[in-house]
Amino acid sequence: MLKFIHSGPFAALFECGFRPFFLLTAATAVIAVAAWVGFLTLGMPLPLTPNGPVVWHAHEMLTGFAMASVAGFVLTAIPEFTSTRMIERHHVFILLILWITGRVAFAIPIVPAGTIVAMIADLGLLGMLAAIIAPRLWRDANRRHLSFLWILLAVIVATGGFYFDTLTGTYPMRWLLVITGLMMALIVIAMSRISMRIVNTALSQVGETGTAYLARPPRRNLAIFCILLYTLAEFVALQHPVSGWIALAAAAALFNLTNDWHIGRALLQRWAFMLYLVYWFMALGYAVIGAAILMETAWVSAGRHLLLVGALGLAVFAVMNIAGRIHAGIEPDKRLWVPIAATLIAGAAVLRAMMNFDQIEASLAIVAASACWITAFSLHLIFHWRILIRPRTDGQPGCEGIASDA
Amino acid sequence: MILLRSGLKSFLIYLWSGWGAIASLMLFLAVWEWAGLYYGELILPNPRITFQTLAGLIAEGSAWQELTITARRALIGFGAALAVGSTLGLVAGLSMTALMMSRPIVTVLIGTPPIAWLVLALLWFGNGDGTPIFTVFVACMPIVFVGAMLGARTLDGQLGDVATAYRLPPLMRFTDIVLPHVVSYLFPAWITALGISWKVVVMAELLASSDGVGAALAVSRSHLDTAATLAWITAVVGLLLAVEYLLLEPIKREIERWRVAV
Repeated sequence: MLKFIHSGPFAALFECGFRPFFLLTAATAVIAVAAWVGFLTLGMPLPLTPNGPVVWHAHEMLTGFAMASVAGFVLTAIPEFTSTRMIERHHVFILLILWITGRVAFAIPIVPAGTIVAMIADLGLLGMLAAIIAPRLWRDANRRHLSFLWILLAVIVATGGFYFDTLTGTYPMRWLLVITGLMMALIVIAMSRISMRIVNTALSQVGETGTAYLARPPRRNLAIFCILLYTLAEFVALQHPVSGWIALAAAAALFNLTNDWHIGRALLQRWAFMLYLVYWFMALGYAVIGAAILMETAWVSAGRHLLLVGALGLAVFAVMNIAGRIHAGIEPDKRLWVPIAATLIAGAAVLRAMMNFDQIEASLAIVAASACWITAFSLHLIFHWRILIRPRTDGQPGCEGIASDA
Repeated sequence: MILLRSGLKSFLIYLWSGWGAIASLMLFLAVWEWAGLYYGELILPNPRITFQTLAGLIAEGSAWQELTITARRALIGFGAALAVGSTLGLVAGLSMTALMMSRPIVTVLIGTPPIAWLVLALLWFGNGDGTPIFTVFVACMPIVFVGAMLGARTLDGQLGDVATAYRLPPLMRFTDIVLPHVVSYLFPAWITALGISWKVVVMAELLASSDGVGAALAVSRSHLDTAATLAWITAVVGLLLAVEYLLLEPIKREIERWRVAV
């Protein structure tokens, strides 16, 4: 087995955490949404999981798609942020096996055996991720990046809660909503690190030397506080007016965060603009959720999909395109397919939301939104699978950035 | 045109920066909603009921009518305080003798609670417009006075010497040296006074008038209509915040731009 990891035909895949996990992120995005739209429109069967298809869809998009991207990001970014050695190949391999086991086991219609195996695998993956990053974050000077660990620990609690409810016969969706909130907070935390580099690069590209972009902590902290408070309020009482106002507060705090980004035409550079749109989708998502709760309409689902398809989808796509290439020794892609794919993801979010606004026929909206999403991540797979499974060619070791950056 | 565009741009940037304040206000509404759960609709109606009641008052036309009356009284009192307070404050700031004379009187004026003035005003002016207008005037004037006085007193004497050396015409001396400095003290005082004028006028109306928002508050209190009471309070506070943050604060920033340049 060790030989397979170190010198087999796919040895490069285990060189760095993002390689297998970003590959799986994009693949899950395509497969899980294709299965879901196939079920909704053609009645194709889904795995017979406890609590029905909606829980399967939400769980697999969060624990499958989102968690794979989180694993890929964390395994690559934390060693870079903390200037520590890269993750061992066999750790990457074990994490990969745990993730795959979790997906397969959750689809097995044997209760409770399948659920228990999925629980062990999913919690094992998250626990191992936490165990890998905790000492690095703790030993880091000033412990500047500990928030990643807190979020990860909270995700472990929420995942444990999900499986506990599932095994005890309680409807477990509330825990998936907690994970949604934690993902939003994680995006804000991660983007504050990524955006400093991306936006300042965009500024220098357009020749703006007088302006500097700074992701200011007070605005970010207010946004994270509001998001987490909403997540807690929603968990305590689903769709209560109190959480409606907090959702509106989160929306306002996220719009407030965009103040840092108004730096002139550099914002229109593709990566900067893509990350900027993430905040817009997140703000709009919370605004729609808040308005829906207070006005007692059925738009909450639209808001959630603006968060998950728009904000999470775009953030994951951007991170895979930026970190997934830089750490493979290749500059971010300058070709046209990138803005096309990003537009498709944004379009998917809007189309999916419009379904709840009764602006478009439901089946048409779901097919169109899914088609946009699947096309976008298929394009990513087409343009990246070789990069992810082949050794890097720039002479740099492991997960280092590209030579000019390093 | 370029100036207009840059002014509009900075106004839009200013407006967009208000999202942080909106976030805090939304959290406040969440706390209000939560408290409403425990105290019930009679004691503390939630924000949604309050806003619905306010929307109803606006739709039937009574809100604008009462708000116009209250605004008229507040603005007349505030305007008078502005004119008298600014003039006297400037004079006191420029002349040490005037300062010595006026300071104790201003201290007395600031120290007297508005409710005491209101009782006196009731005796002097009765139930008409005079009572709230006078109370607003007497509550706001000392604050404006102190602002103007401080502005005039802290003017850098060396700037005056420079103006003399360059033989600046008196008008230019006033508009380019005295005014920017004094206004930077005066404007915050005006904004504070405006806030006080709104609060005082409602209080005066509540106790002394048969119309205006304060009187409407008195009626809703006597009917135990907490929702209407909160709706009126929301209207008054909302209007004050709108005037302060959409009108006065942008003007203040524009006036104080020179500070950033320095």
